[in-house]
Amino acid sequence: MEKRLIKKDALTGIAKKMAGDFLVWAPVKKEDNVLFEPLEKDAEPFFSYLNSKNAPKNVFFPHTETMMKYTRTEKGMVFSSEENKTAPSVLFGVRPCDAHSFALLDKLFNQEKYKDGYYIAKRENTTVISIACVKPPYASCFCTSVDGEPVSADGADILLTDIGSDYLAEFMTPKGEKLVKYFGDTKADAAAETKKNEIAAKAKEAIKSKIPAHEIKPILDKNFDNPFWNTIYGKCLACGTCTYLCPTCHCFDISDEVKGSDGVRVRSWDSCMFPMFTRETSGHNPRSSQKERWRQRTMHKFKYYVDMFNSIACVGCGRCVMSCPVNIDIRKIVEDISKL
Amino acid sequence: MQNPYIPYPVVVDKIITEVDTKDIKTFRFKFVNPEDEAKYSYIPGQFGELSIFGKGESPIGIASSPTQKGYVEFTVQKAGVVTSALHEMEEGTRMGIRGPLGNSWPLEFLEGKNIVIVGGGFAFTTLRSLINYMIYGDNRKRFGNITVIYGARNPGLLLYKDELIEWGKRTDLNLNVTVDKGDATWKGREGFVPAVCKEVAPSKENAVAVICGPPVMIRFTLPVFFDLGFSKENIITSLEMRMKCGIGKCGRCNVGSKYVCKDGPVFSLAELDKLTPEY
Repeated sequence: MEKRLIKKDALTGIAKKMAGDFLVWAPVKKEDNVLFEPLEKDAEPFFSYLNSKNAPKNVFFPHTETMMKYTRTEKGMVFSSEENKTAPSVLFGVRPCDAHSFALLDKLFNQEKYKDGYYIAKRENTTVISIACVKPPYASCFCTSVDGEPVSADGADILLTDIGSDYLAEFMTPKGEKLVKYFGDTKADAAAETKKNEIAAKAKEAIKSKIPAHEIKPILDKNFDNPFWNTIYGKCLACGTCTYLCPTCHCFDISDEVKGSDGVRVRSWDSCMFPMFTRETSGHNPRSSQKERWRQRTMHKFKYYVDMFNSIACVGCGRCVMSCPVNIDIRKIVEDISKL
Repeated sequence: MQNPYIPYPVVVDKIITEVDTKDIKTFRFKFVNPEDEAKYSYIPGQFGELSIFGKGESPIGIASSPTQKGYVEFTVQKAGVVTSALHEMEEGTRMGIRGPLGNSWPLEFLEGKNIVIVGGGFAFTTLRSLINYMIYGDNRKRFGNITVIYGARNPGLLLYKDELIEWGKRTDLNLNVTVDKGDATWKGREGFVPAVCKEVAPSKENAVAVICGPPVMIRFTLPVFFDLGFSKENIITSLEMRMKCGIGKCGRCNVGSKYVCKDGPVFSLAELDKLTPEY
């Protein structure tokens, strides 16, 4: 594996240099938020951020995406699939928890039988560069409870770790190695690696928020009808913020938009928190109240996804915890389930 | 690789109004590109997404049998945005279909067994596909006795009336058509489906029951089959849920860890028992 040392103040320059050759998504300060956006010429990436407000899943799975186009003609509707024309891209500077989410989303969108070409094209054409959390950014971080670590390359092609004087750059995949030339010529020595391992162990230790995420699986298997579910949803506003900000939530709607003779079919993020999500034409709704919807969200993350892909669909980023307007805390829900 | 989200272009070749109330029609589609027909190779029990540009898509069971070549048929009740638009269409209109989607009636499991088919009302469409498949030519030899029990609220609401007459003439198919209430011209059987099942009393020996109908029919029919000694492994049904993608990604049609679109829609009662009762 290639390893390089780069000066800490060199990071911005590297991102800008790459932006001349690729579409580079980088953290950018926008009003009060940090968001991943295509890095425009002369724009400054903001690498001293804690984590982005939104999960960077929109790079591969945009909020709204055209799937096909159609036109009304004399002969009737003529349609064509939207080509997956994606520019070679770099997603620069995501946190390890968010990179972990890509590995989880791959399991769904790149399944053996039904491949989602829209997601796969963007994913395959994008190099992911993670910046390790040498200090956990928030008290609500709980990645170590859900198979993550603050210094982890899971889901990333290149991992950057701040080892004090320099960044250690580790090129984890062939895709990552193709970009090695942007990172200078200073090869990392064994001392740098030792330092990184020490930092990684300390960072892991520093994650204090822990939840029994694995332990609740056998409990969820048996407690679909437990009265416990009546106790968690009362204050939920069904705003969907938790699902929109979640790095692993992937539910979507497909809808048609027409203007004159032309139309598009688009997919947009949807949310299991919304009543209409499952309502059928007949009026029947299998998840008829917010109770069933909260049970679905919890079960999907900690049981169904485990049944389907042998992975928990949560990366412990804590965005849903921090942004819920009524302070519903998934950590407490998981904790309470473990006591059922 | 075929993009599973993009429909095959089809032309509405024929529209048959099935019922007196005119809100259930069978649509026969022909593929605009003849080579697409082979790509749309399906098994009875599967479904497709009917795709109308500017309106959206609707998941509907395939009503024709793969033994019927040159076209594919769907029987559709007018209900929401897409199906209402479909009902307004004329023959010759161009639209799209996606699929075939989902698993299917378990043909290999059914082979060599006596088959009892129970259908109620409008939910008879994929059962019709299965019946036409089983009685087609040499296929018939691969199955034992075939008993069909099919009911509708009144004679005007029976689907596939011409085929029912043809099936009734066959000696290798025991057809029992019933209506909740007959009219002046109805000479057939009257009575609810569960009662007729009790009367016909199909044997459980080497038999599988394939049951599709409105929830109320299912609720009262299942106990009849349990009383007849059918095991839950040998009672098979098909579920419906709201769907969008049809390939297990958009996240709305799961029942527990199974997606109805991808892992279903066909499940045995034994399989359903293992799932959460959320459908």
